[in-house]
Amino acid sequence: MLKYSLRRILVSIPTLLAVFTIIFIVVRVAPGDPAYAALGDYASEDAVERLRERMGLDRPLYVQYFQFLFGLLQGDLGHSLITQQPISQQVAVVLPYTLQLTFAGIILGIILGVPLGVLTAVRRNTWFDYFGRVFSLTGLSFPIFFLAILMIYFFSVQLGMFPALGAAPFSEPISNLHHLVLPAISLGVIMFAYVTRMTRSAILNVLSDDYIRTARAKGLTERKVLYGHALRSALVPIVSLVGIFTISLLGGSVLVEEVFARPGLGRYMIGAMKQNDYTALQSIMVIYAIIIVIINLITDLVYGLVDPRIRYS
Amino acid sequence: MSTEKFNDLALSLSSRREFLKRAMVVGLAIPAGGALLAACETDDDDDDVAVEPDDDDDDEVDVDDTDDDVDDEEEPDDDDEMPEPDDDEVEDVEGVILQLGMNAADVGTLDPHFAATTNDRTVVDMVFNGLVRYKPGDSNEIEPDLAVEVPEPEENEDGHQVWRFEIRQGVMTHPHPDVDSYEITADDIIFSLEQSADPDRSAYAGELSGMTFERVDDYTVDVIVEQPISPALFLPKVADYAGGFVVPMQAVEAIGDDAFQTNPVGTGPFRFESYTPQDRVRLLAHEDYFRGEPELAGVDCRYVPDDSSRELALQTGELHVIGGTTDAIWVDRVDQLDDITVDVFGVGEVAFLTFNVEAEPFDDIRVRQAIAYAIDRDEHLALFGEPAAQNVYSLVPEPLLPGGLTEEEAREMDLTFDHDPDRARELLAEAGYEDGFELELVSSEMEAYLRNYESMQATLADIGIDLSLQVVDHSTMHEQIRQEVNPLVIYIAWRPNADVYLTRFAHSSTRVVIGDAPDTNFTRYTELDDLIEEARVEVDPDRQEEIWKEANAQLLEDMVIYPLHFLNQVYARRDNVDYGHELVSVMALYPQITENTTIS
Amino acid sequence: MAESNADSKELLQPSRQILTARQRAWRSFSSNRTAVVGLALIAVLVLIAIAAPLLSPHDPLAQSAVNRLETPSSDHWFGRDHYGRDIMSRVMYGARIALIVGIASVAFGGALGTIMGVVAGFKGGRTETVLMRVTDVLLAFPDLITGLLILAVLGAGMWKMIFAIGITIAPRFARIAYGATLSIKEMDYIQAARAVGVKDLRMLTFHVLPNMLGDIVVLGSLWMASAIRLEASLSFIGLGVSPPTATWGQMIRDGTHQLAVQPWFAFAPGIALLIAVFAFNLAGDGLRDAMDPRAQS
Repeated sequence: MLKYSLRRILVSIPTLLAVFTIIFIVVRVAPGDPAYAALGDYASEDAVERLRERMGLDRPLYVQYFQFLFGLLQGDLGHSLITQQPISQQVAVVLPYTLQLTFAGIILGIILGVPLGVLTAVRRNTWFDYFGRVFSLTGLSFPIFFLAILMIYFFSVQLGMFPALGAAPFSEPISNLHHLVLPAISLGVIMFAYVTRMTRSAILNVLSDDYIRTARAKGLTERKVLYGHALRSALVPIVSLVGIFTISLLGGSVLVEEVFARPGLGRYMIGAMKQNDYTALQSIMVIYAIIIVIINLITDLVYGLVDPRIRYS
Repeated sequence: MSTEKFNDLALSLSSRREFLKRAMVVGLAIPAGGALLAACETDDDDDDVAVEPDDDDDDEVDVDDTDDDVDDEEEPDDDDEMPEPDDDEVEDVEGVILQLGMNAADVGTLDPHFAATTNDRTVVDMVFNGLVRYKPGDSNEIEPDLAVEVPEPEENEDGHQVWRFEIRQGVMTHPHPDVDSYEITADDIIFSLEQSADPDRSAYAGELSGMTFERVDDYTVDVIVEQPISPALFLPKVADYAGGFVVPMQAVEAIGDDAFQTNPVGTGPFRFESYTPQDRVRLLAHEDYFRGEPELAGVDCRYVPDDSSRELALQTGELHVIGGTTDAIWVDRVDQLDDITVDVFGVGEVAFLTFNVEAEPFDDIRVRQAIAYAIDRDEHLALFGEPAAQNVYSLVPEPLLPGGLTEEEAREMDLTFDHDPDRARELLAEAGYEDGFELELVSSEMEAYLRNYESMQATLADIGIDLSLQVVDHSTMHEQIRQEVNPLVIYIAWRPNADVYLTRFAHSSTRVVIGDAPDTNFTRYTELDDLIEEARVEVDPDRQEEIWKEANAQLLEDMVIYPLHFLNQVYARRDNVDYGHELVSVMALYPQITENTTIS
Repeated sequence: MAESNADSKELLQPSRQILTARQRAWRSFSSNRTAVVGLALIAVLVLIAIAAPLLSPHDPLAQSAVNRLETPSSDHWFGRDHYGRDIMSRVMYGARIALIVGIASVAFGGALGTIMGVVAGFKGGRTETVLMRVTDVLLAFPDLITGLLILAVLGAGMWKMIFAIGITIAPRFARIAYGATLSIKEMDYIQAARAVGVKDLRMLTFHVLPNMLGDIVVLGSLWMASAIRLEASLSFIGLGVSPPTATWGQMIRDGTHQLAVQPWFAFAPGIALLIAVFAFNLAGDGLRDAMDPRAQS
């Protein structure tokens, strides 16, 4: 098992390296210059040139590239071109908010989605099923930023129930959760829709399987069949897809953070993009890549446990 | 996000019956584990959020005793890190930390000799002083700051102009872990001016070229200007704006240039306490401020780039002062809210069009005039609405600075170019473009730019000019227009006086790409140098103003620059905030928070 | 990266009587009421997009600064935007961009991805490694982030948008096509054809591709919904089509600033976007159910 994990990590290294290289190139090919971002409308050519020098942008690209890679090897994400602050510090501040938001969305989706999925499957082709399916499909179709805006409009602007602004520190758990509600719901609705649909089709599929028929034939109550057998096996795909969902939600969190002006990796990324803060942008992408690798690794391992055909050798 | 894929994966998995039990255990473990992981994560990071550049400032939160109590030893900075709605109650004992919501995502640089954006200038303005300063709330008046009085120039034997500054005694710098508070002397002034004049260490070096600085005694400094200039041009260079801010020598040397950018030490009413990325810069009162200890316990400069978030937070009282939207509709609406007042004040940033007079088809003056007639100045104004914006009739904004043309003056010379599409079409036809032409321009995504470009797009369509816009982020626009991508540039800027306006936008030396010192002249126009230079060395203020007016008129006659309007500053505050001064016009583009500012 | 998807080759079993069962599929599709609703909605959208100049009550580009941010009235059902333009007309014209970008990017991404997958699966060896490695890299990031990065490099614009969305979509198709190709390759008749000496290209076009076409079409219809939403998301962030062209995402972005003054500025395009994505999801769902015998029973 450990060996397998190590192997998986080793296997992902070339991919990661490719990702890092692509990120480095892409970030630098992008038009725009951080010196202009920093100097704004006062950017005279002279000032821009000197600032570029200070930022180290006058160094040859390959030098910058190797600095970036060697820095990464030592766990150093470098310094922001704009603020000169270590990027790792900024990431340390914003990352927990993104993780919190993403996990809240996932958990919300599972808690609401599994029961609704089971119910729609059990009451297949009733009005309830129909309603549930349309509901989940609507959730699936909701542009996440539009949902977030509606949330703000009704619950913040109109009702004043929840704050529309940013986030509260983790040291103030109540205020922190209060700030989390609307963003988490916005993100959770998508997860909710996925999970509902998936649970429904998984249960339907299981219900038609032989062993369920056998169980029924043995005279088990429908209830026992459902909760004792069908739900159990239906949980498997949900679990193994949590990884994929997490990655999906990670993308969604960018929009949610943008709308709610919530600190987070996504908003940090968009900010770095707009300021052409190369070093920050490339490091943020690296963080994303690493998070995704970790999620995939966990998913793989769990998946292997679930699926007997995969052997860790 | 292929749902289909997920479903199929689900199906293929669930059809396998073995190992279900084991899988189920794992299945339950994952969400739980995830939650646990999340919990650990957040716990960990909570400790990590101490981002202060200086880790050892436990002992210097003392201005703010209550804060100290809350923080205790273990997490001195924890409380500073993130939005805290309960700030007020915590600090009530010692005074309030004013929450200032700024329209910006994050700090740029707090090195005053580089700070250029409005939000950076805001912070810098509270932390530093100049030799002289614009009177708080009224930039038309200059008064002494670190100097004892505003000097009169004298001429020395070499024919150079000498400005002798007597430095105020007992001005103490902010305390800092790396360097103790000490008294500012002539050495610091000279160090600071020299740093500001050094192009490697300042973005404003050009302002101080041709000047030397001499120490007379501990409290006296001579500034020697090679070419005599008028007070109106000299004093801004040593005022509390841009390169005139005084940085204490020992502090810069102890902290280092790079660290200084997010860890500034000055002499102003508020001292830098901490910086949390994307969240805030916290300033605390400088107890030994030479004008007296500030009434406020401090100022949190909060980065809240989202307009509606700022507004909501002002309503809930989470923020005390916010940067508003330059829009009359916004001003009216927010001003009517309970307990909130909106202030609209100068100085106004001028929005204007500049033509590249060598680029086709704008090398023909008739085309330029056609565009001037096609554009409806009032329509552009209505996009922002009065009083948020006001029309201007010359590049140098008339009510704000000496040297600009009033509407009457411009009308007398027939240089207002009032909206007249027929005339515009005629001129185009005369120039050989009866069917119009196509034009491609780059615009910033920033609202004030985009509105003007899009409005122009609609009006130019009326006279057959097909304008396509490429919207890019703000800094990219700045970069592109400096490479002459746009033959027609809309620019929005505030400059401290007529000379800077004219020099930066119309003197041949500042032409982008081809000038000697490329800056923000997008015109390729070369006919105005004599007038600008003549005005620059004119010591008689009235005569100087006259030359400037002449220069402005010439820009209109040759239709090189077409002025639209200026955009005022809009800030909203809770009614209980008293800035401590009238708000007429402010150089630093924010309401100015000083030692006299209070929250009742 | 995204190795978790490695097993997706099993997701879609190729052929599975789709071609032979086409009639049955159509029957069950048309009997599927939700899908019909979806198709009807799409038809309405297409109609509005095509006939926008006839249907829209006002010129979508006509500005009127003094009337900006007017709230809904009988003349302007959804009010006016920040330039005084009619929002209803702009929402109607916005359908054009949504549909063009949706269709074109899926067509481009689907074609590119399918070719990549088929070639990788069929050729094997180094080609396979390189192509699938590229796919892995692209799949590593959520589509929004990939799209953002590509547009950050290219700048905004409709064709760039189509390209960016196409690129983010392509690997999903590549995965499916790759898996399908691998199993088709093992089929007896393909082996036989190979043995007889049928050329690779011919084999691909006449035997392999038709076999997986059904799956690709289903995937494409589902990705249409995502592509439209992705376009709106990217526009919302500010990387959309150039002004003054009306796009829903851009309208929502501008409208967000005016929620307190004129909420319909953001609501109207938001609802249009929701309906469009919903319609394609509905239709895609129906299509899948119709084509996938397992989902019926």
